[in-house]
Formats: sequence, structure tokens, C-alpha cells
Amino acid sequence: MEQNNSLTPFPPGLASPQGAMTPVLPIFSPMMPYGTGLTPQPVQNTNSLSLLEEQQRQQQQQQQQQAAASQQQSGMVGGSGQTPQLYHSQVSTTTALPGNTPLYTTPLTPMTPITPATPASESSGIVPQLQNIVSTVNLGCKLDLKTIALRARNAEYNPKRFAAVIMRIREPRTTALIFSSGKMVCTGAKSEEQSRLAARKYARVVQKLGFPAKFLDFKIQNMVGSCDVKFPIRLEGLVLTHQQFSSYEPELFPGLIYRMIKPRIVLLIFVSGKVVLTGAKVRGEIYEAFENIYPILKGFRKTT
Amino acid sequence: MPSSCPECGSSNVVEDDLYSQRQWVCVDCGSVVSEGHLTTTVSDETQGRAVPYHASTEVLKKPCRNLIAGFSRVRALCRILRLSSDMESAVVSLFERAYNHPNFIFVTLTKKEILGGCCVLSVCRQCNWPVAMGTIGYLLGVDNATLGTVYREFTKALNIEISTIGIMDMLESFCYDFKLGPQQVEEVFAEPPQRLVDRTSALIELAADAWIVTGRQPLPLLFAAVYLAWQSLNPTVRMKYTFVKFCKIGKAPEQSWHRSRDSVVKRLKELRDVLCKLGRELPWLRGGTVEPNTVVPLVDDILKNHRALLLRAVRNYEQQLQNESQTAQTTECDNELSDSNRSESHSSTTPELMDPDQAGCENPADKQATDCQLPPDHWSKRHLFLPPCVKNRKRQRVDAPQLEVTGDEEISDSEIESYIRSQDEIEMYLKVQKELKKMA
Repeated sequence: MEQNNSLTPFPPGLASPQGAMTPVLPIFSPMMPYGTGLTPQPVQNTNSLSLLEEQQRQQQQQQQQQAAASQQQSGMVGGSGQTPQLYHSQVSTTTALPGNTPLYTTPLTPMTPITPATPASESSGIVPQLQNIVSTVNLGCKLDLKTIALRARNAEYNPKRFAAVIMRIREPRTTALIFSSGKMVCTGAKSEEQSRLAARKYARVVQKLGFPAKFLDFKIQNMVGSCDVKFPIRLEGLVLTHQQFSSYEPELFPGLIYRMIKPRIVLLIFVSGKVVLTGAKVRGEIYEAFENIYPILKGFRKTT
Repeated sequence: MPSSCPECGSSNVVEDDLYSQRQWVCVDCGSVVSEGHLTTTVSDETQGRAVPYHASTEVLKKPCRNLIAGFSRVRALCRILRLSSDMESAVVSLFERAYNHPNFIFVTLTKKEILGGCCVLSVCRQCNWPVAMGTIGYLLGVDNATLGTVYREFTKALNIEISTIGIMDMLESFCYDFKLGPQQVEEVFAEPPQRLVDRTSALIELAADAWIVTGRQPLPLLFAAVYLAWQSLNPTVRMKYTFVKFCKIGKAPEQSWHRSRDSVVKRLKELRDVLCKLGRELPWLRGGTVEPNTVVPLVDDILKNHRALLLRAVRNYEQQLQNESQTAQTTECDNELSDSNRSESHSSTTPELMDPDQAGCENPADKQATDCQLPPDHWSKRHLFLPPCVKNRKRQRVDAPQLEVTGDEEISDSEIESYIRSQDEIEMYLKVQKELKKMA
């Protein structure tokens, strides 16, 4: 696997279209439809449309060239069968950057989402906000935690309590646990991009402290989101009708714990109408889970 | 192996063991030519393997001491809670299963005791026998949180399906726990349990409609409801008795209510507020004031007509909101005199479409909660009855402005340098550490 510092890997053979890289980013920007609280529409950004058309054209050109030349085709075409993660239920994620995606030969209409778009009148109009992202990365070398704790300003290390250095940076406001094996956990970011940037900053700090740190296998492990449906919810009713998914013990915890099967998300539902969603690996799972639970909750909205 | 007999000289020597002793015997004359050892030697014994405890018969004949103690404790719990013999045997077998489960065989004795309580709780839930976790908690002397963690582990380890019980199921046995029979207390305090149950269940239904029940601990609420019910059944005499006094009269075990006294007081306040809101709608009071400390005599009337009163209260509240929104908008119209405003005031008569630009639209009933810092256009102002956690929110959560980053930006060296100590700092730090070590 290529080591990745700041450049996303491109499939071999594809000319690196620098111009095409930047237009992708607006899709993944947090200020896109999901941040404005408007009804989430399928991504209709003309930038991305042109990017995909361009990529399609380039790939067709490439394939024509390669079909004539060598037999390395098999490696590339093999990837065409993959469903592009880009369009999973109308949401895009940074982890599926175009570097790894579409090698389709079929003329797929780029904007068709995999799950059918819900018409605007049925969708909730509420968008869960991401509150916390937990990610891990491998710095690829053994670390001396005592040295790190001594030479870094923002580090704390108490081996009797916990076997890792706890480091914090101001921007993005995050905390990292750095272990002597070279593995690192980064928590507290509010978006995937922020988490990645923060992890890179920690890796840079460790580098500057004299260790040959790399940036291998960055992976988002957990995402937490929350939102408010703006009406009170009858939890006792919900636990009766959805018994196999819900657990409501008012003596232990005031909220109802709903374990959704698809997507595999755990929701904490409170009587005030606030909902916390956790356990997601990609942003789309949180949105999908909320769209699934919203009609159920509306059924338990009871105004006196 | 000897080949010839020394006595008769024949070569017909066979191996013929006598019990466990090896012997070589001559067939012709019958003399023993040679023999082996009868007993084991020290070397044999040390090489042999000892039988472990769990494979010996000791295990079957005498089970673990702690398990026996656990059994007696669990049976005692069942007897205190007056479970049937079927349920008791179910509890005992479940406890044995749980005790010997690999997750629980090595835990502390306290945890094993809590495990017994969890078994009781689980069987009661399965048989629809309403027992609150708080009851088991106070019988074992642990708090709900500890009991809860062990209960969750236990249900996961043994794959038991959890069923929830509602507050109404716990009500009857709870009321019967109070000793208020005519033989036990004075005439003025006595109350047949069934009457108490009926009145309390009506109060709890009302509380559930008014969002006081959901998400809350059931026991403090039950205490508050029983107390109010008892008072309302003979208000003239009983009004002056406080909650603590009532518990002493009814001989409720102090452990069960002592810890949750503060919650009970809060629930009492909430219940009385709800009763006041409804009491105001009673037509024969002709709009007279209804105060929380004098509402108890009206409880009887309120409960009899609670549905009608609820509808009236909600309708009046919505009317009030409409009037306020209209007056606010007509004053705006007077000030601005624009057509767009006028059309807005006509269209937005229903509270759901309240104009978010209106400031200061406060519900007169909520003026008491002046420390509530909700913005005036918050959705909660539209409802008369709401869960208290929404109405009493002291501080709005403000989402920090989102950073717009791509994740792949350049990281400035100066920023990273700011996180690294300079050489002087390191030397100073080491010096201080040495000094501290010297002092210690």
C-alpha cells in the first residue's frame, strides 16, 4: 500500500488531473446541504457531475489505449464491478475519494443514488450534526513515550494509570492517545476531514520530535451524531411496539436504547425529543438511521 | 523372567498374578519362583498424576461453599418478596447456571450476591411479577447503577430476553406495602388498599399524560403519587402531614424512601403544578386562583373530569397563544403599515406557523420559570404540557462553528513548533523534577 501523507493515491495509469481534484471537495464540504438544515437533496452539484463525466471520458480513453497495448487491463477492469461508494444513499464520504472509485464501463447516470431518493415531502428536514469522530492511524515505528512526554508541551504521560501518551492540539480541538507500538487514536473531531487533519498534525509533531513517523492505514472507527426532533416522545409506547430492538429501563437510564439492524447503529432516544446516534463508520449511516427512525418517532408524537 | 524352577527343575514357569502382585509359578510343582512388588514405591507415586478437585467425587457430593451460601441468600430474597414456590425453584436453578458460568465463576463475592438479585429480578420479569430494581437494590444494599451493570452482563452472558415493566404494574404491590389498614393505624389515617390503588393509578395516568412519568425513576414518582392520593382521600384532616410523616404512619421501610427523598419532593411539586393547571379550568371555581398547596382538596373533582379538563386547558392555552401572536403582529402592522405583514397576520393564525421574528411571546403560566433561557420562538412554548427536562432547560447548547477543512492541507511548521518544548524548557523541567525527587 502506498504511504499517504497529503496526496490521495491515484490508480496507476490514470493521469493525475489536478484540476479535477479540487472540484470534488465541495461535495464533501460540511457546508453542503447537510449543514444548512434544508431537506437533503441528492447531490446535484454541477462540479461533481462534470468531474465524473471527465473521469469517464478519461477512463474510456485509457482503456482504448490499453486494450491495444498490454494485458494489464485485467487489474483495472476488475475494479469496474465495484459499486461506487460515492453514491451510497445520497451521501458522500471522504473515505471514498475518487482515487479509489469509479472505474465503470457502464454508462451509469452519475447522480442516481443506490437507495431511491425519498421525495422532499417525506424526509424529515432535520439533519443530524456530527459531534465526535474516533479514528486510528499507524505511525509505523516504535516510540519512546518518555521522550515524547518530556519534549512535547501538550503531552501527559502517567504510566501507572495508562500506558499511552495523551496529547492535545488546539486546532482542530482534539485529543490523541499515542502508544509505544506506534499506533494512535484520535478523538474529538467534528468531521472526517478534521479528524484526518488532526491525525496528520499529531504525526507531524511526533516526526519533529525525532521519530520516523509515517501515516499508515488511517481509518475512522466511530462517528457520533445528535439531533432534535422537536416534539416529546412516548418511550413506553415505543418499547412495546419495537421490543426486539429497544431497551428502556427508566431505573437505570432515562433514555431508550434502540439498536437498529440496518444500518447497524445504536440510537439513544430521550423523552425531550433529542436523539443521539452512534456506531457509524461513515456519515451516511447516521443520516440513514435517522431517516429510518423519524417516521417511527412521529408515530409516538402525542400532543395532549 | 525366570526360565526354570529351582525346586523341580522344570522349565514350565508361567506368569500367574495373585491379585495385584505379579508372580511366576512353576506349573509342575506349584512353587512360586519369583514375585513382584505388592505396593507402589515412592518413585511410582511421584511420577503418577494427582486427580484434580473438579474430577473427584468431592465436587458432586459437596458443592462450593459460596454456592450454598448463595442459594440460601437467594431463597431468602424470594421469601421476602413472597414469590411462589415455582418461581423460587426457577430462581435457584437460574442462579446455579449463572454462578457456574465462566463469566461469573471468578468474580468477587459481592458481585455474586448481586448476581442472585439479578436472577430474582429476571424470573420476576418473565413471570410478570412486578418488582422494581430499586426494591432489589435496597434489599441487597447496592445502588441501581451497580445492579444495572451486573444485570446487563448477566442477561448478555446467559442470553436472556429482557422485558420491561411499566409503572402501572408496580403500583398495586407498592400500595399494598403501606400498612394503612383500620387495625394498624388510627381511623383518620386508615385507607383500604384498593381505594388507595384506584386513586393512585388515576393520578399516575394523569401524570403520564402530562409527561412527568416518561424517562424518570418510577419509585419516587410512586411515593409522591401515593402520598397525594392518601391526602386527597381525606383532605381536611390529612393536609397537615408531611411526606416523611406519612411514611412513618404507613410504616414504609426507611431505606426504601430515604435516599430518594429529594426526588420525591420534586415529583410532588410537578404533580401539584399539573393539578393546578387543570384545577384552573374547573368551571365552578369561576376563574379563582388555584395554588399548589391548596389544590389537594380539588383532586377528587379534577380526577373525575380529567379528560374534559385536559381538553379545555390545552384549548385555552392555544387560544392564548393565538391572541398573543395576533396582538404582537397587529402592533407590528401599526408600526410598519406594509401589505406583506398584513397578509402574514391573516395566514399565521395557527400556532404551528408562528412567526419566528416575534420576540417576547411568553406564556403567562411559565413566567415563574424566569431562569429558563429558551429563545422565545422555541418549539416548546407551543405546548402546555411538556417533559420538565425541556421546559426547565437552563442553558442552550451552542454548536461551535464548523471548521472548513479538507484534511489534506499544508500544516505550518510554526504551529507544530508551538507544541514542542525548547531546550531551555526541557532543562528547567528536568531540574525541577530532580529537586522534587530530592525533597520527596
